[in-house]
Parts: sequence; structure tokens; C-alpha cells
Amino acid sequence: MRRRNCGYSPGVTATLRFDDVRRRFGRLAVLNGVSGRVEPGGMLLVTGRNGSGKSTLLRCLSGLLAPDAGTIAYRENGADLDVAERRRRVGVVAPDLAFYEELTVQENLEFFARLRRTGPERGHAVLERLGLPLDRLAGALSSGMRQRLRWAWALLHSPRLLLLDEPFQNFDRAGEDGARALLAEHLQNGGLAVVASPLPLDFDHVSGHLELGV
Amino acid sequence: MSRDTSSWASEAAAVFVKEWRCEFRTRYALNTLALFAFTTLVVVSFSLGPMGVARAQGTAVLPVLLWIILLFSVAAGLPRAFVQEEETHTATALRLAATPSALFCGKLLYGLTLVLALEVFVTPAYLIMTSLEVTSPWLLAGVLAAGGYGLAAGSTLVAAIIAQARSKGALFSVLSFPVLLPLLVLTVELTRGAAAGDAAGVSLPVLLLYDASVTVAGLMLFPVVWNP
Repeated sequence: MRRRNCGYSPGVTATLRFDDVRRRFGRLAVLNGVSGRVEPGGMLLVTGRNGSGKSTLLRCLSGLLAPDAGTIAYRENGADLDVAERRRRVGVVAPDLAFYEELTVQENLEFFARLRRTGPERGHAVLERLGLPLDRLAGALSSGMRQRLRWAWALLHSPRLLLLDEPFQNFDRAGEDGARALLAEHLQNGGLAVVASPLPLDFDHVSGHLELGV
Repeated sequence: MSRDTSSWASEAAAVFVKEWRCEFRTRYALNTLALFAFTTLVVVSFSLGPMGVARAQGTAVLPVLLWIILLFSVAAGLPRAFVQEEETHTATALRLAATPSALFCGKLLYGLTLVLALEVFVTPAYLIMTSLEVTSPWLLAGVLAAGGYGLAAGSTLVAAIIAQARSKGALFSVLSFPVLLPLLVLTVELTRGAAAGDAAGVSLPVLLLYDASVTVAGLMLFPVVWNP
């Protein structure tokens, strides 16, 4: 069977660089000057124990959380994108990402596709590969199926930068294999990824490693 | 219409359609608004119905009660527009995908249709049950449209502000007071005028200016309130 190509914007080159990113929650300093960079085709693996700031770093990189200090520079085709534009361009898979439980998988994807100003086809293609029925209510999905929907949602608008927080959690073997294949294709096509995981990931495409909380 | 404007309008329309689709499947706001409106309507009509209040007093008192019913019915249902997004964690996906101004307008449009639907059912029932005579029905229709828009816009803006707070209910009341008070003063005055047959005077243009101001303030404030 011929695989459908999912989640690429051919011809767009992107780079991500962040320097001395700091973030506190009240008195608790979660990020103490974290730096890193990711080039096209590269994947930065962020590891650390629970509470070390992996998810906070990814939220800062996505633009969902403003860092207290430090710089985050995301460039596409040589142009720096501001935080609002970065927020809309990145693809995010995260445990706290939820969808409308009253709507079906297809209705959720169509809604977000209209917000993303694109068609739902890429999301459908991802779900076809991951094996998730379109007509099921999002509220009736198991945790593994929700994770599949998160992947489809993240790749809906062909992002160059994927920010993946524990991207393979709750997957069965087939789901994890499918998601790993999608990530590998994304990187082979010049995409970038930052992957947060509490444990080291066995993955061929890791180009950099950041250990938090040491 | 430029492509950007068309895409923006498509985003706002998508939010509007999503809101109503979710509402028809859960009926949370519809049930809350309908129940509150019905209960207060019955209480007011029993207490101040045809026999309860003289005509002269009715013209002064009944418009106030009409807008109190509308205000509290809206306050019982509309703040859910953004609070529910935070509580069900769908706000993260929305923040990453939606243009803030389009999201605000989509939610506002949903709130407006909800308020107008409420007014369409509540106002005729209220007029019949209290025997309030309206000498200028077109003025009343204009006040209900402009006042309903102001209620929807003000409530949507305040709902967005309180969505991330802890004491949402208390904060909604505190913030709504300065935002909605001028609107209610104007709408009550204009509704009294419609009942008595007075001319609208400057109150109607002031009400329209209020609507425009709240809309502009909402469009300017919402991206700041919505995103970190």
C-alpha cells in the first residue's frame, strides 16, 4: 500500500534557537538559563526527571508561556517570526492538549483546519495511517486514541517545527510505530523537532540532547 | 474582500458554528438561560401582572425588570463561553490555532444570537404577562437589538478576562458592574421611552456608541487577555 505523505511544507527551511531561557512560578525557578538550537532535519531531545521543566520549556518555545528572561528565535525562510506567528506555525503534541468532546474526530479536525486556514486532508491522512475512525466522538476516545488525534492535529497545517511532549505515551505498539514513522518522515523532509521525555528515547534522528534539572 | 479578510471571516464563522454545534449537543447555555428567564418571568408576572401595578407605575417599573431578567439570564449562561474552554483544556488548542480577534468575534456572534433568541422569546411573553403597553414598538425593537448586542459584547469581553481566574463567578460580577451599568441605564431609559411614546433623543446614539466602544475595546484587549 502506498503511504500518504503527511505533514510537510516542502521548500520551507526553519531554524530554532533559544538562549538563557528562564522561567519561575512564584518562588520556584523551573528553568534556569536553558539554551539550545535545532537545525533543519534535527531533533533536540529534552530529558529530565518529573518537574525538571521539560513541559515548561516546550510551552515557552511554542509561545504559550512567556519566559521571564532569555531569547527564543524561530526563523522560517530566513525571516524571524514573532511570538504570535510562532504560536500559530508550530505543531504541538502535549498531554494537556484536549479537543471538543461533543464533536466527532472529523468535526474537530475540520474546525481546527478552518482556524489553521488549511484543509483537513492532512489530518485525515495521519489518522488513516494511525488507525483512528473519523466518526467517533472525541469524548468517547481511549487515551491512546486521543494521542493519535493529537498527532493528527499537530500535523494538520504542515508545521516545520514539531514540539512533542511525551509524544508516544498511551500508544500501543502499532500507534508508537506509526508516530515514530511520521516523526522520521518529518525530519527527513527537513523539519525540526524538540521532543521532551522523562526517559531517553531510542530514536535514530536525535541531533542534540538537553538534560534538565541536573 | 481580500484573501486575508475572507480567511479571517472564515475563522470567525468556524468558531460561531462550533459554538452552536457544541451548544445543541450539550444545551448547557440554552437550558440555563431558558430556565432562569422562565422562572423570573413567572415571578414578575405574578407579582406585577395586570392587577399588581398601576399603568403609570408599570411604565416606570416594568422596563427595569425586563432588563434585569435579560441581564441575569445572560449572566447565567454567557460566561461559559471562555470558562468552559479553560476547564476542558481546549483553550490550549485554540490558542495555538486561532487568530485572537477572529476567536473573539466568533464567540461574540454566538453570544449575540443567544441573547437575541432570548429577547425574541422573553420580551413578547413579558409584555403579555405584565400587560405593558408599548407605544413605539420600533424603538423597543431597536433598543432590544442594540442593548442585546451590548450585553453580548460586554459579557464576552468580561468572560474572556475571567476565564483564567480562580473565583470566576465573583470576578464576573465585579467586572461586569462597570462594563454593563451604563448599558443598562441607557436601555432602561429607552425602553421606558418606547412604552410611554417618548422620542429616543440622544440615548439611542449613545447606546450605539457604547456598543462600538465595547467592540473596539474587546478587539484591542482580547489578544492581550487571551495570550500570555
